[in-house]
Amino acid sequence: MNAPMTRHGSALDHALPRGWLLDRIALYLGRSADTIDPAVPLAEYGMDSVCALSLCGDLEEEFGLFVEPTLLWDYPTVDSLVGYLAAELAGADEEG
Amino acid sequence: MSSFATFTELVLDRTAEFADEDVHIHLAEAPAGSAAPGTLAAEHLTYRELDAAARRIAARLQLHGVEGQPVLLLYPDTMGFLKAFIGCLYAGAIAVPAPLPEGSAHSAKGKLSRTTSMIGDCGAKLVLTDRASAPDIALWLATAGHQDVVCLATDTPGFGDAGAWREPSVRPDDLAFLQYTSGSVANPRGVMVSHRNLLANQAALARLLGTTREDRLGGWLPHFHDMGLIAHLLHPLWLGSASVQMTPSAFIKRPVRWLKAIDDYGVTAGGGPNFCYDLCLRRVTDEQIASLDLSRWRIALNGAEPVRADTLDAFAERFAPAGLKAGTMYPCYGLAEATLVVSGGTSGTPYRRREAGKAALERDTLAEAAAGQESRTLVGSGRVLDFDVRIVDPAVHRELPDGAVGEIWLRGDSVARGYWQRPEESAATFDGTLRDGDGGWLRTGDLGVLDDGELYVTGRLKEVVILNGRNVYPQDVEHAVRAVDPQLASGAGAAFGVEAGREQLVVVQEVRHDGDPRELRALAQRVQAMIGKEFNVPAGTVLLVRPGTVRRTTSGKVQRTLMRELFLAGEVRGAYEVLDPAVRAVARARDTLLGEDLLQPAPAAPGGRPW
Repeated sequence: MNAPMTRHGSALDHALPRGWLLDRIALYLGRSADTIDPAVPLAEYGMDSVCALSLCGDLEEEFGLFVEPTLLWDYPTVDSLVGYLAAELAGADEEG
Repeated sequence: MSSFATFTELVLDRTAEFADEDVHIHLAEAPAGSAAPGTLAAEHLTYRELDAAARRIAARLQLHGVEGQPVLLLYPDTMGFLKAFIGCLYAGAIAVPAPLPEGSAHSAKGKLSRTTSMIGDCGAKLVLTDRASAPDIALWLATAGHQDVVCLATDTPGFGDAGAWREPSVRPDDLAFLQYTSGSVANPRGVMVSHRNLLANQAALARLLGTTREDRLGGWLPHFHDMGLIAHLLHPLWLGSASVQMTPSAFIKRPVRWLKAIDDYGVTAGGGPNFCYDLCLRRVTDEQIASLDLSRWRIALNGAEPVRADTLDAFAERFAPAGLKAGTMYPCYGLAEATLVVSGGTSGTPYRRREAGKAALERDTLAEAAAGQESRTLVGSGRVLDFDVRIVDPAVHRELPDGAVGEIWLRGDSVARGYWQRPEESAATFDGTLRDGDGGWLRTGDLGVLDDGELYVTGRLKEVVILNGRNVYPQDVEHAVRAVDPQLASGAGAAFGVEAGREQLVVVQEVRHDGDPRELRALAQRVQAMIGKEFNVPAGTVLLVRPGTVRRTTSGKVQRTLMRELFLAGEVRGAYEVLDPAVRAVARARDTLLGEDLLQPAPAAPGGRPW
């Protein structure tokens, strides 16, 4: 709640690097990160519920962020995920 | 062990003998907002507590007159489920384990929830659940048109009067439960498992695995999965030991939790489909392995989907530093129609494997590959101990000799009594007759070969695709795909599995569309998202084809096997298609060879390829 703005800002930049997210998703989809277009729905690359839940586990573990298992269906591209998660982490920072 | 006529008698005996010992340990995920979110907290259940809970539940069930009637069990985890399952046995009711009907409210149009289809088929008038799930269940019952079904939350304080319970009169051939793991959503089939079947299969498990009271079983498989129920939850009861369980989502989120539980709680036997070992290989870190002691794990069951030698070997090697003993990997074969287990290796000794020529296998013969010919590594599923087994030519029902590939036929006390209220399908599957007139055989629908006493499962007669341990029925996928958009609704579709590194789903769907190919891509994306979400399997390969492409018989039946052959021969091309890279390598091998791929227009974006 009392997190200073500077820390807040740095959390946004460092807490959820887009590269980290891409690497995790690439791992679950069994393809290299540079073949994933951040604007293309991940289902096109064969994303399923195991992949979606796996990422939920990563977010819990890495960032203490608890998200609904439906996250990847509600935010189906890397771009939309990054947008949502950045906002969530910023919110958690303000509350926490 | 054979002194018990029913599983109920056995449980009553065990709960009296081992009263204060643990029968079940459930590792519950602490929710967000709790003191330690994301950690697993152990809840213990003793034999005495299980007995007391089951008596209360049974007494309440007896008020509803459920003897010999199906009761649907909808629980989020094994702790509530186990009490209710034993409660059904104590009441002489037929337990029907099922997944929670979650997501059914948001289901894609046209796709029936599995649980909805199950309650419709079994006709249960009573549902047992817990307080947390009850509101959703009540809503589901109302929307699914089952307002007449009574829903009871068994963890309500004061639920049932144990003192009022009367032991039911149950005979060995009465049904203990219905197992709905086979059959599509559109055509569900509840396998009728009797007390005799269940006791016979428990004995078969013990003989194959060499289990004793010293063994603890468990894992992450759900309780409505046949291996999860029969091996992980009920086998420990039969032995007088304990089971250790976590939910599938707790495992998938962090696979190391499963291995940690094996270490922490001394689990000696347990496993799952091949994919869970792959998941551990990819996601458990070296640092985590360094902190694990897996030396007490002696049987790592691997069944319920095709077993891969490379997975077994990689897992054994990677986890050897954690004390995993050589010979722990345990491929096995089973099916719900045989209660569960059919065959398995000798525990503590390495599983058997052999190389088989691909060309010979296609001619249904097990033989070494000729020089320069391709071969395939077959993983042995072990010995068949408690069944009569025959390998049979499925077309003419002639028994085949060792070394010939045919349908696996079984006979024995573990073979279930048929499909619930489906006499014709039951007769076709459970009463196969050999050409010489010898009858009463279970036709498994699986193809295999016996070689020196070892069973090798080589494929399936049925068109079911097995992905991540799930049976995916082509007709369910095809039906749901047509429901995605009106442009797909009138076209035929074919869904089938192909072998490309692992089993992969291919969807070929006719589309009525003359416009912008970019619109086709958006359509394909919706199909992929629907399959990923509703069927929980990856849909990396979707071909939208011109009307008339999907072959059908004169009676209109989709020819999936033919479509699969045409696809693999590179002869099915989409107006728009997206192919998983591994599938592309198989189905478009000739393009690469001839350089034809260079002549095609560049893909619009990675993953998609319109032409």
